[in-house]
Amino acid sequence: MGLLSIIKQVKMQEKEMRILILGLDNAGKTTVVKKIKGEAIDTIEPTLGFNIETLTHDGFTLNVWDVGGQKTIRSYWRNYFEATDGLIWVVDSADALRLDTTRAELAALLAEERLFGASLLVLANKQDIAGAADADAIAAALGLVHSTAQPDADALAAADAESDAEPAAASSSSPAPSTGPTQVAAKRHWHIQPCSAHTGDGLLEGIDWIVKDIASRIYMFD
Amino acid sequence: MGDYGDWRAITPDEVLGYNEATQGYLCPHSANVYGIEFIEFKIRDLDSGAVLFNMRKPDDLVLPPPVEGDNSGRFVSYDFGAAFLRYKTIGTALTFSVGPEPVPNFRMIERHYFGDKLLKSFDFNFGFCIPNSTNSWEVIYEMPQLTPDEEAAMIAAPYHTKSDSFYFVNGELIMHNKAEYGFSAPDGASED
Repeated sequence: MGLLSIIKQVKMQEKEMRILILGLDNAGKTTVVKKIKGEAIDTIEPTLGFNIETLTHDGFTLNVWDVGGQKTIRSYWRNYFEATDGLIWVVDSADALRLDTTRAELAALLAEERLFGASLLVLANKQDIAGAADADAIAAALGLVHSTAQPDADALAAADAESDAEPAAASSSSPAPSTGPTQVAAKRHWHIQPCSAHTGDGLLEGIDWIVKDIASRIYMFD
Repeated sequence: MGDYGDWRAITPDEVLGYNEATQGYLCPHSANVYGIEFIEFKIRDLDSGAVLFNMRKPDDLVLPPPVEGDNSGRFVSYDFGAAFLRYKTIGTALTFSVGPEPVPNFRMIERHYFGDKLLKSFDFNFGFCIPNSTNSWEVIYEMPQLTPDEEAAMIAAPYHTKSDSFYFVNGELIMHNKAEYGFSAPDGASED
């Protein structure tokens, strides 16, 4: 039995998972965790280091590492990758100006070898704010899906028109676009969940997905 | 100033083998070369959400450097009510700051004893701490199952329940804190 297999068996016996929560500053990472814990969220200050919280979900103990997202701290994120079972990437869906930055930071994380095995949950946070981008738009902006997959009425109409004109032939013969979804995302277990850490909507659904996904991966390994 | 002997040679494995509280402190204040400082410590009952204990250093308070031989800053005496022993699930939250240097491999081992009986032992690896960071850690744990006799004995012998907290960086002891616990306060929790 390999060492990795033994480690995974021990993890399953203890039913512990290590979850790393990252995202830009002011994305709402700490608020997400506090809300899930049922704690007050009205006095949360920027995290200038880490908050380690223990959550229990579905019989599992989650050791959650919420690390600050300010620019000066991001270079230290790599110190927290080791042994991570799940990565939660929190996005401020109302911060349109920084979607490019959040895309670039996430792409760098997904290229990290030590995070290759981690399930990825994207929380499209702040859905309670008027004008927030929806989950599909966030997934597209992060490069997790083809941008043409956006449920944008015009784009859908255009795609329909194209497929009517050239049935099947175009998609089977054209090479994959070089600017398509990142290759790492294609192989990775990932899920995007619209949520509001302020109201709590969507948080448990997201946690439920990542816990089930990690559990299924670890069981499948053995 | 006490004689700490060769405290740099004390290993995590060694303290994990202790079966009662140490007689004194195993390292001097000066061992804390990373400027780690505790800011807040909170205990809550998970079932009710009630805060049982909360000690926070005021934001504007700058503590003078500790004087060797004065251990008041690394010792706490708690006086909880007997009800404390009957809580099932407890959360303890610690907030600490670190100095201007990165802290690699920060690890805490905390052992709780009643006399020579080990009640609980924690071993938690914080890993890396960012320079000048403030960090928090909440651990949730089940209270040790006590027989009625053990519970009565602990209530009858205040401050015989003790804990040692050992903090290591890269396997080297940098801090040692102590606490003792009584369970005879009429109600709620208070700090001595």
